[in-house]
Amino acid sequence: MTSESTAEFAALELESTTVTDSGGALRQAADVLHKLIQSVKQQVLGRDDVIELAIIALIADGHVLLEDFPGSGKTTLAKALGEAIVGEGGNADPAIVPFRRIQFTPDLLPSDVTGVPVFDSNSNEFHFRHGPLFAHVVLADEINRTSPKVQSAMLEAMGEKQVTVDNVTYPLDELFFVIATQNPLDLVGTYPLPTPQLDRFLFKITMAHIDREAELDVLATYKERRDRSHGKITVSRDEVIAARQTIDSEVVISPAVKTALVDISRNLREDDRVLQGNSTRSMVLLLPALQVAAVLRGRNYVSAEDIELLLPRVLGHRIELAPGVSDLKRVLLDNMRGPMEQLARGTLI
Amino acid sequence: MTKAGEVGLRYLPTSLRAAIVASSFWVLSLSMTVLSGSVAGVLGCMIASYLMDSGLRRSPLQLLRTPTLIAAILGICLIGLLLASFVTGTSLLASAFSPIVAFNTGEAVKWFVFSAAVTAILRTLAQRTSFGAVLEIVFVATAFVITLSAHRNGMIHRPFFIGDFALVRGIDPSAILMAVGCGAVLTLAALLITENNQRRLPYHFALIGILCFSLLIYVRMFGLPTPQLTDDLGLTGAEQMGGGAQRDNPFRDGENDASDKEAPVAVVVFRDDYEPIDGSYYFRESAYSEFRGTMLDFTSRADMDQDLIESIGAGRTETEQMPLALDQRTPVRMTIGMLVPHRNPFGLETPIAYENVPNPNNLRFKRTYDAYSLAPTYDFNYMLGRETGRADWSDEVRQKYLEVPDDPRYKELAESLITDLRPQYADDAFAKAWTVKTYLDENGIYSLKNQHAYADDPAASFLFGDLTGYCMHFAFAATYLYRSLGIPARVGVGYSVPASNRAGGSALLIQAIHGHAWPEIYFRDIGWVIVDPAPQQTLVDMTTDPQNDLQQMLGDMLRDNASFEDFLDSQQTSFIELQTVLNILYLIVGLTLLVGYGTKVYRLWLPAYARTENQYRASYRAALDKLSAIGVHRRPGESREAFARRASTVSPTLTEMTALHLQSALGATKAANDASAQWRRLQQRVDTEIHASTQFGKRLLALINPFSWMLTR
Repeated sequence: MTSESTAEFAALELESTTVTDSGGALRQAADVLHKLIQSVKQQVLGRDDVIELAIIALIADGHVLLEDFPGSGKTTLAKALGEAIVGEGGNADPAIVPFRRIQFTPDLLPSDVTGVPVFDSNSNEFHFRHGPLFAHVVLADEINRTSPKVQSAMLEAMGEKQVTVDNVTYPLDELFFVIATQNPLDLVGTYPLPTPQLDRFLFKITMAHIDREAELDVLATYKERRDRSHGKITVSRDEVIAARQTIDSEVVISPAVKTALVDISRNLREDDRVLQGNSTRSMVLLLPALQVAAVLRGRNYVSAEDIELLLPRVLGHRIELAPGVSDLKRVLLDNMRGPMEQLARGTLI
Repeated sequence: MTKAGEVGLRYLPTSLRAAIVASSFWVLSLSMTVLSGSVAGVLGCMIASYLMDSGLRRSPLQLLRTPTLIAAILGICLIGLLLASFVTGTSLLASAFSPIVAFNTGEAVKWFVFSAAVTAILRTLAQRTSFGAVLEIVFVATAFVITLSAHRNGMIHRPFFIGDFALVRGIDPSAILMAVGCGAVLTLAALLITENNQRRLPYHFALIGILCFSLLIYVRMFGLPTPQLTDDLGLTGAEQMGGGAQRDNPFRDGENDASDKEAPVAVVVFRDDYEPIDGSYYFRESAYSEFRGTMLDFTSRADMDQDLIESIGAGRTETEQMPLALDQRTPVRMTIGMLVPHRNPFGLETPIAYENVPNPNNLRFKRTYDAYSLAPTYDFNYMLGRETGRADWSDEVRQKYLEVPDDPRYKELAESLITDLRPQYADDAFAKAWTVKTYLDENGIYSLKNQHAYADDPAASFLFGDLTGYCMHFAFAATYLYRSLGIPARVGVGYSVPASNRAGGSALLIQAIHGHAWPEIYFRDIGWVIVDPAPQQTLVDMTTDPQNDLQQMLGDMLRDNASFEDFLDSQQTSFIELQTVLNILYLIVGLTLLVGYGTKVYRLWLPAYARTENQYRASYRAALDKLSAIGVHRRPGESREAFARRASTVSPTLTEMTALHLQSALGATKAANDASAQWRRLQQRVDTEIHASTQFGKRLLALINPFSWMLTR
C-alpha cells in the first residue's frame, strides 16, 4: 500500500512541476495527508478505503458515521488517527487531548460528554471540567444506543464546534473530528438517528469485513503494532489546520463540477424512487471533501473521479428511498450518469 | 454478462436470426423445390436455430469438439437424405396415397434435413469460431443472390407476389429482392453486435460492406445474368453467330431436357378478333425451303420464300408476295413484344407486314412491333381439289420446292401411303398430304429424346426408324413425303401456341416450349397452308402451367402505350421515381461520407493549427479519435480517468494526457507556454503506442472508417 501512495506522490510531483506556482503549499498539504494515511495504516490493516475517507472527512471538517460490527477496528482507527496528530505548537489548548472515546449507553447524560462546571472550594469558584468532546478525534461508539437528549448535545457540538453548559459556551478545538459508529444489526433498545441528524455526518461508511490476506496480516503483526512506541509518523495539529486551509484555497472546483453536483441532486429529487432527496447543505459539505480527495490523487482540481468516489458516501444516508426500493447504488448511478457524462463531454467543448 | 445470459437462450436475437436464415432458405427453396419442401426447409431452420442456441452451451453439445459436432450433424443429415430418397424410392407411400404425396413427403424430408443441418453447422461455427458469424452472413447473402439470378433467368420472377407488385409499378423486381436480401444481411449483422465479441465486429462489418459493395459494382458494371433459353429451333438470335447461316444441324438442339420450357419469350396482344381454325395459333418466323446437299435450309434465292419478311425497316415493311384467297382470310393486327431477341420478326400466319412501335418498357421488351396478318378462316375442305404451287413460280422455283434427299425410300413410302386413297381423291394434292399427315399422326411418337440427331439424314433415320422424334423430325419427314408426291412444301418455323392458353384475354404469352416447326404446302390461289402432323403418342409432358397473371400483365404492359403509361402514372403517384430515389440516396451517402471524412481529417489536423490555450482540447480530442478508430472509446457515464486506465493497455500515455487535459479543463491553471510542444510529444507517444499495440488490419480499418470520430466522447 505504501507503493501506491508513493505513486501518488510521484503523480503529484509531475503535476506540480508542470502546473502550478502555488504547488509548494499544496504539496505540503498533500504530504500531510499522506503522512496521516501512512500513520494510520501502520495500525489499521486492510481498511485503506475507510482510512482514506476518514482522512478526507478530517481535513474537510466533516464527521464520519461508521456502520460496522464490533471488533472490526473502529477504535483502533480512531485512536491511530488521534495519535497521528500531535498537539505541539504555541496556541494549543492544554485541555484538548488527541483522542477520546465515548461509549454511548441509554443512561448517559449530556454533561457526561460535554463536561460539567465543578465548584472549587479553594477558589470558591465554579470551574469547567472538560468532557470527552474536548479532543482532536472523538470516537462516539454506538451512538444510536443513547437517548436523543445526549445525541442532540453531541450533534450540536459536531455542528457548531462548541458546547454550551449552563449558558456558557465553550469552543471546541478547530480540529474537532467525530467518528461515530453504530451496529447495523443489533437494533434492540436503540434510538435510531433521524435523517436530519444523520445530515451532520459527512460520510456514512458501511464497512465490509476485511479480506483474508489482510486478516491474516492482522493476526501476524498484532504484537508488533501493539508494542510499537517509536517510529510512528506524526503530523502536528497546526500542520493539519494549515493543510485544510491550503486545500480550501488552492484546489479548484470548476463550475462544470458544481453544475454536475446540482444536476445530480435535482435528478435525485425528481426520481420517483426517492422519497426525499439530499439537502443543499450536503452539497456544500461535499465540496471541501472533493477538494481533499483531489489532492489525495495528486490533483489541484476536482474531477469526476472524486465525485464518483465521494458522492455515494455522502448521499447514502441523506436520501430516503420510496417504500419497496432498496437498491440505493442503482438509484444513485442512474441519476449520476447524465450529469457525469455531461461533465466528461464538457471538457472537450 | 450474467451467468444466466451466457447459458440461457435469448429469445429475441435467436428468433430474429432464425427468421432471417429461414427466409433465405425459403427464397433458396422457391426455385428448387415444391411448397412442402419450402415449408419444411423453413421449419427445419427454425428448429435447428432454437436447438443449437439453447443446447450449444449445455452439457452434451458443449462437451463435443467442433469438428466432432459438425461430423455428427453431417452424419445425421446423410441419414435424413437417405430417408428422403427411401420415401420417394419405395412404392409404399406412392401406393398407399399417391405418387404426389410420396414426392411431396420426400421433398419435405430432404429440405427439412438439409436446412436443419446447414443451420446447425452455421450456428455452431458462429458461436465457436471467429469466422462463423461471417459464414452465416455470406450464406444469407448467397441465398438471395442465387435466387435473384434464378429469377432473372426467364423473367419469371418468383415469388410472383413480389414480381407482380414490382412489374406493375415499373420497378425491376430484382431491386426489391436485393433490398430484402440487404435488409436481411444488415439485420443479421446488427445481431452480431448484440451477441458476439466486440473485437470481431469491425472485421465483420468490413467484410459485409465489401460483399455488398462488390455485388453492387458487379451488377452496375456487368448487369444481371440474362436469360439463357433453350433454343431448340434457332428462333432466337442466341445462335446467330454465323452471319445468318444455318447451323450445321437443326436437329442437334433437340437434345434438351425442357428444363426451362416455361420461360416466356414473347407476348402478343391481338388487336382484332381471331380464333384459329385448328386450335393453335401459328406464328411464322421463317422457313426451311431450299434443299442443300443433306437437308433443308433457309433459302438464299431471291425468288423463293418471297412471302417471308426478314427484318423490319423504317416504317411499315410489307411482304413481297401477298397471300391469295383474301376472302378466306381475316386481317389481324397484333402487337408483339419480344422478351428475348429473335433472329427474325414473326407474326400470326400469314404475316404480311411489320411495323416497329415504341417500346413501352425497355426493361421488359427487347423489341416491340405491330404485325399485320391475313389469318386463314378456311377449313381444310377448302383445299380439296386445289392445284399446288403458285402460278407465277418459275419451273426452277417449283423444282426447288420439290427437291428431296437422294433417298428412294421417301418416294416408296409416300406412294405406298396413298395407294389406299379413294379413287375420287387419288389425284388430289390435299388428300394425299392429309394421308401422309394421318400416317405420321398414328405412327409417330413424340419424344425429345431420340437417336436421330447425328444420322446423315435425321429425317430418314426418324421416318424409316423408330418414328420417335419431335416437331423438327415430323416437319422434315412430312415435307419430304409431300415433296415426294409432287406437292411443293417447306418447313415453317416459329411458334405454335394452344388457343386455350389465351384464356379469353387479348394477350397471348409465348413460352420457350411453344417453339415449333411444321410442314406447309403451297396451294394455288391460297398460299402457304400448314398441314401439321400431330402425333397421338407422346413420351413427354409438354404442357405448361397457364401463366395467366404474367400473360395478362405483360399484355397490359404492351397493349397500349398511352393508357399503360397512365396506368403506371396512377400506380406511381405514391411512388417517387426509383431512379430519383436512388440518386438522392447516392447523394446522401456521398455527402455523409464527405462530412465523415471531412470531420475526421479536421479533428486530426486541428492540433497542428490550434492556439496554445486550445491545445488541451484539440490534441486530446485527436488522440481520443485515434483510439476510437481502433475501437477503444469511453463508455457513456465513464469518467475520463477511468477510461484512461482502461485504455492504458493500448496507450499508457493516455493517463498522462488525460491528467493534463483535465488540469486545463477543470483546473484554473493557464496553459504553459510550451504546452503545444508538450502536447505534440504526447501525441507522438500515443501514435507510437497505438502503432505498437494494434494489428495492421485494424489500423487500416481505422484509417478507412469515416465515422470513427463519432465514437469519441
